[in-house]
Amino acid sequence: MKKIIPILLIAVMLYYVSSCEKDDICVDGDTPLLIVGFYNVEDTTAFKRVESIRIRNIDIDSIISKDSYKGAFNDRSNIADSILVPLRSNAVTTMYQIISGSQDDADTGEETGNIDTLTISYDLGEAFVSRACGFVVNYNNITVTLNEGAENWIQDISVVQPNVANTDSIHVKIFH
Amino acid sequence: MSKYFINILFGLLPILALAQSEPIDLSQKDTIEYKEQYGLRVGADISKLILSFVDEDYTGLELVGDYRLTHKLYLAAEIGNETKRQDENLNNTVLYDYETSGSYIKAGIDLNTYENWFGMNNAITIGGRYAVASFSQTLNDYSLYETNRFFNPDFLPGENPNREFNGLSASWLEFVVGAKVELFANIFVGMSARIGFLVTNTEDEQFPNLWIPGFNKVTDGSNFGVNYNYSISYFIPLYKKSKKQKEENKQ
Repeated sequence: MKKIIPILLIAVMLYYVSSCEKDDICVDGDTPLLIVGFYNVEDTTAFKRVESIRIRNIDIDSIISKDSYKGAFNDRSNIADSILVPLRSNAVTTMYQIISGSQDDADTGEETGNIDTLTISYDLGEAFVSRACGFVVNYNNITVTLNEGAENWIQDISVVQPNVANTDSIHVKIFH
Repeated sequence: MSKYFINILFGLLPILALAQSEPIDLSQKDTIEYKEQYGLRVGADISKLILSFVDEDYTGLELVGDYRLTHKLYLAAEIGNETKRQDENLNNTVLYDYETSGSYIKAGIDLNTYENWFGMNNAITIGGRYAVASFSQTLNDYSLYETNRFFNPDFLPGENPNREFNGLSASWLEFVVGAKVELFANIFVGMSARIGFLVTNTEDEQFPNLWIPGFNKVTDGSNFGVNYNYSISYFIPLYKKSKKQKEENKQ
């Protein structure tokens, strides 16, 4: 009977080893954010600073601020290189107003910055990431269209990564 | 007359002594040889039976069997069917809920490392198995993981719930440590712990195999799995064979 005790111990030990695993916390993935980089239209490889940027989502009429989500920027801050914006996962388009030089008129309170409207269209995809995370959304075949206005501050847009599956590098370049 | 007789007796004494040349064997061998029983042991896993009654998300049955080949070596096999429904949660939100259902068969050997006392039939075994499972997974419900809450305060539900993934299979090698104790005549209770190493794993690219019948939980980035069983089995004696030959070899 004494020889059975070590086997019991091994069995118990195996049970405990199997119950603490690294895949209990989701660290492997997330639904990605769209990374937009601001480049100089004259030197397309160099970043160009955007002064006092404000981004307003038209779909839900909401202005992005620092506490909107992780990785967000301060409203009306100066952006040196790039920003992260979320895309809607329950629709195939997301519309943003990107306002450069955003400021309220001292008397009327109206926006005096240059407002450009972007429409981002995409296909929705789903992917299983890991046991702890489950499924996330991927955005495929992204197209970005600039709604032409009287005087656009955005000169050109180029999609460098049409499939947004991670938040590692710039997906869309805006030249201004 | 008696004087001569005694003289003759003394004279014959050396001959008598000669007759005693073979020494008396004080540790004479017992001629009754102990025969060990050989046969087939069949049974079922009680833990899976109990879990089937207690846990409403689980039904399972495993039949176990072994056949004694030599003094130490047994051929051993398990055959089973399991259905298990599981979910993964994050702060009370169900990330996904799935059900795995299928059958498996394991075959291999057990080596009894326990030297029994006279008349005992207990076993402490180490062994190996090769196992094959065929199963299906059903994704009942799932939501889409998204840490930013800009658009939606909660995770969105998945687009295509209630999807079934058929034709899944897996095979693995198993290392088994076990013990069997004869509780009553020919009735054995046993337990075993097993470490499995996945050799093949055919899974759907949309939803990987997270749990395999007979193998248990599949861990991300690892081929190892752990499972166990508690069995009760009946020994069907088929023939008896002496263990004597082995003891002579020892001497």
